[in-house]
Amino acid sequence: MNAIEIRQLQKSYRVYQKNEGLMASVRGLFHREYREVAAVKAIDLDVEQGEFVAFLGPNGAGKTTTLKLLSGVISPTGGEARVLGHVPWLRENDYRRRFALVMGQKNQLWWDLPAQESFTLHEKIYRIEHDKFVRTRDELCDLLNVGHLLGRPVRELSLGERMKMELTAALLHSPDVLFLDEPTIGLDVIAQHNIQKFLKFYQQERKITILLTSHYMKDVAALCKRVVIIAQGEIIYDGSLAGIIDKFSGHKILSLLFSDGRMPSDLARYGDVLEIVEPKARLRVDRGKISQVLSSVLANHTLEDISVEDPPLEEVIAELFSHSAEESERGKTAEEIRNGEMRTAGVSERSNK
Amino acid sequence: MLARAETWWTILKICVEERLVYRGDFALGTLMRFLPIVTQIFLWTAVFASAGSGLIKGFTRNDIVAYYLLTMLARAFSSMPGLASGIARQVREGEIKKFLVQPIDLIGYLLLARIAHKVVYYSVAAGPFALVYYICRSYFPGWPPTEVMVAFLLSLVLAFLLGFFLEATMGMISFWFLEVSSLLFVYMLFTFFFSGHMFPLEILPEPWRTIVDFLPFKYMAYFPAAVFLGKVQGTELVHGLMIQTAWVLGFIVLCRMTMQAGFNRYSGYGG
Amino acid sequence: MSHHPSYLGVFLTFVRNSLVRDMTFRANFLIDTFSSMSWMIMNLGFYVLVYQFTPNIAGWGKFEFFVFIATTMFVNSLVQAFFMPNAEELSEQVRTGGLDFALLKPIDTQFLVSLRRISWSSLGNFFVAMLLLFYSVPRIEGLELSFWQVLLYPVYILMGVLILYSVMIALAATSIWLGRNQSLYDFWFYITNFSRYPMEIYQGTWGTPLRQLFTFVIPILVVINVPARLIAKPLSWEHSWLAAFGVVATLGSLLGSRWVFKRALWSYRSASS
Repeated sequence: MNAIEIRQLQKSYRVYQKNEGLMASVRGLFHREYREVAAVKAIDLDVEQGEFVAFLGPNGAGKTTTLKLLSGVISPTGGEARVLGHVPWLRENDYRRRFALVMGQKNQLWWDLPAQESFTLHEKIYRIEHDKFVRTRDELCDLLNVGHLLGRPVRELSLGERMKMELTAALLHSPDVLFLDEPTIGLDVIAQHNIQKFLKFYQQERKITILLTSHYMKDVAALCKRVVIIAQGEIIYDGSLAGIIDKFSGHKILSLLFSDGRMPSDLARYGDVLEIVEPKARLRVDRGKISQVLSSVLANHTLEDISVEDPPLEEVIAELFSHSAEESERGKTAEEIRNGEMRTAGVSERSNK
Repeated sequence: MLARAETWWTILKICVEERLVYRGDFALGTLMRFLPIVTQIFLWTAVFASAGSGLIKGFTRNDIVAYYLLTMLARAFSSMPGLASGIARQVREGEIKKFLVQPIDLIGYLLLARIAHKVVYYSVAAGPFALVYYICRSYFPGWPPTEVMVAFLLSLVLAFLLGFFLEATMGMISFWFLEVSSLLFVYMLFTFFFSGHMFPLEILPEPWRTIVDFLPFKYMAYFPAAVFLGKVQGTELVHGLMIQTAWVLGFIVLCRMTMQAGFNRYSGYGG
Repeated sequence: MSHHPSYLGVFLTFVRNSLVRDMTFRANFLIDTFSSMSWMIMNLGFYVLVYQFTPNIAGWGKFEFFVFIATTMFVNSLVQAFFMPNAEELSEQVRTGGLDFALLKPIDTQFLVSLRRISWSSLGNFFVAMLLLFYSVPRIEGLELSFWQVLLYPVYILMGVLILYSVMIALAATSIWLGRNQSLYDFWFYITNFSRYPMEIYQGTWGTPLRQLFTFVIPILVVINVPARLIAKPLSWEHSWLAAFGVVATLGSLLGSRWVFKRALWSYRSASS
């Protein structure tokens, strides 16, 4: 059964175009120019119950927008989506009780209060039975090892501890679908690892459906069998992690170790020279030519060692994203622009009372 | 020297641009500033109607309305919304460091930003102000003689400087106490009550009437209005302007001293 | 799991959490209480000064007017305690994404956004108002309180609070679609400023339309005038329609603000990414 079904989902919005210069600002007083930005362009996607799917994509590709659409925070411009049989943007309470959204860059816990108080609030809002609430909370806190921090104000917690609390809060009502937006952003390696371990365990135990966006390939490699790549609002890949390399990398990396310093000077004829540290060399060779190049190298040179590898995943993806980088640079997300405006907003003052 | 002037000019331009981005806010905010005057007019009309006598402490009802309108103008010069709290925020968030690192004078920068703020404000507010004054022209006794007008304008400029340096000094206190909002509130309370913004200071009973003469607040609202209305004249007027100037100079010095001491303290603690 | 969220339970948790929070910043709490109290006392001082020169203002004697001020303080302290911090925070929530979280919850969004934080320190004025009321009422000449007056006074104060809340939340919600909203709060202050005076002072060519505007279109004159008059100057026949109208105005304001809020959320959901 599909937990999530998306058909031709679209989202575009208008951004105020601020022009540089004093005169332009004055003109902006009277006439404003807007620009249509398409954040998500007609995507289709099916996710089965119990799948753990990763969304990859450069900044502004539409990952977060998709998650917000699926959680009903925003309404689409067109298309359809069903999550657990519900249309998310109708925001029925029945649906809202069955999923959770965690955003790594935003927090929903009360900043000045111990996390425990925010948990109690969730108990009331989701109407969780008290026994069940206590049980779930203690279980989650055990798994995440944060039980001893429950009474400490959230502002005093480290970033990693805070994220664990955010996860706990999100999972208190035992959602069937979990949306994770960059849950490990800004965390150190150990904290990242802990969160991954927890998510993996929890997902396998509960068989819930999870959609994860992340920048860290390690998150994705550790957790998800299925990867969806979004760029400029479109799905450009949907499949296994390993499949990305087959699909997007036209190259292999050829490492050669020459015998007693007899390194030829014309390596470039075999492929792009990536690195030479005598007596070693690394070359990038077109996938189609690899067997031809190999036999040619072996025929002409004495080698001590030779290996053919796929390029590292990070590189393939970085390359893939850089193609769309110029595009997305122009289409900076509305959020960034809004934040820019907000930063200059005046301090609210009481002097007018 | 020229390069320096250019730097300041650039800063001024950027500040003006920044303030112009929000147009809706602007027009609305300016017009609404006059709404309290409307209730004051009604209130004082009712007071004079019941009081029986047409004169309260030398003020007719029209005088009082004109007085409120004029203090509005004076407050448009002397009020500095967000100045002290802005400094406090910069200290709290460590943004103030850039003034220790970059070759920009903090007070100079703030003054320019404030002038930009005010220039933009006046350019947009001039319309509504002129409109309201025109509608309310019958409340005014007429144009004062030229020398009084000059004194009035001078007192407005001094009110701007006094407001700026007084509040900037308040902001500098945040180098010592991070949370200054309550202090600012007390300051605001005092300004509102003792500057004459809330009522003509004449109606205060003794000893308050004498006490306010020794405070700087009255030069930020009461004094310019009183000058325009001819309540202070001759040598009294000259003395008033001199005292106002003295307050400005005093706060310039105090502001700079607290800034220096604050910077020393800040760098001493390593930020 | 029950299907309806427990609104009372959630509200009580808000009350408790806010108290815990306020108590962790006890110094701030005391300073806030003190400063908002001193503000009202200064305001009172102004009227003490004015009453040096006149026996009454638009038919309101000194102590009757003090009751009026006490009523203003009751209403304002309640609005400031329960709704003001939340309305102020709404634009901040839009910016930081807190509103996104509110939209996810299986509970009414307006409820969640309006009552999230309670500023206990603002209730200081409530007690000052109480003192002022108990001081002034016995000093009003020829006033004998009936049971109905005492019963209806708090009810009408509550209705006043709801009207002000409606105006405030409608303005705050509008800010979702207009972006930055400093002047909207100014607007709120300036508009409610009209409500702080007896409606009799609005007379004449300008005053009458103004009084009608703020009675029938934006019913803020009802907020304080009706309960204050109820205690200080028991309603005469021609004024009893005001009491009836107060009920209508309250319901109308609540429905109107609800509509604006929903409209704003709709625009938020379609305008952001």
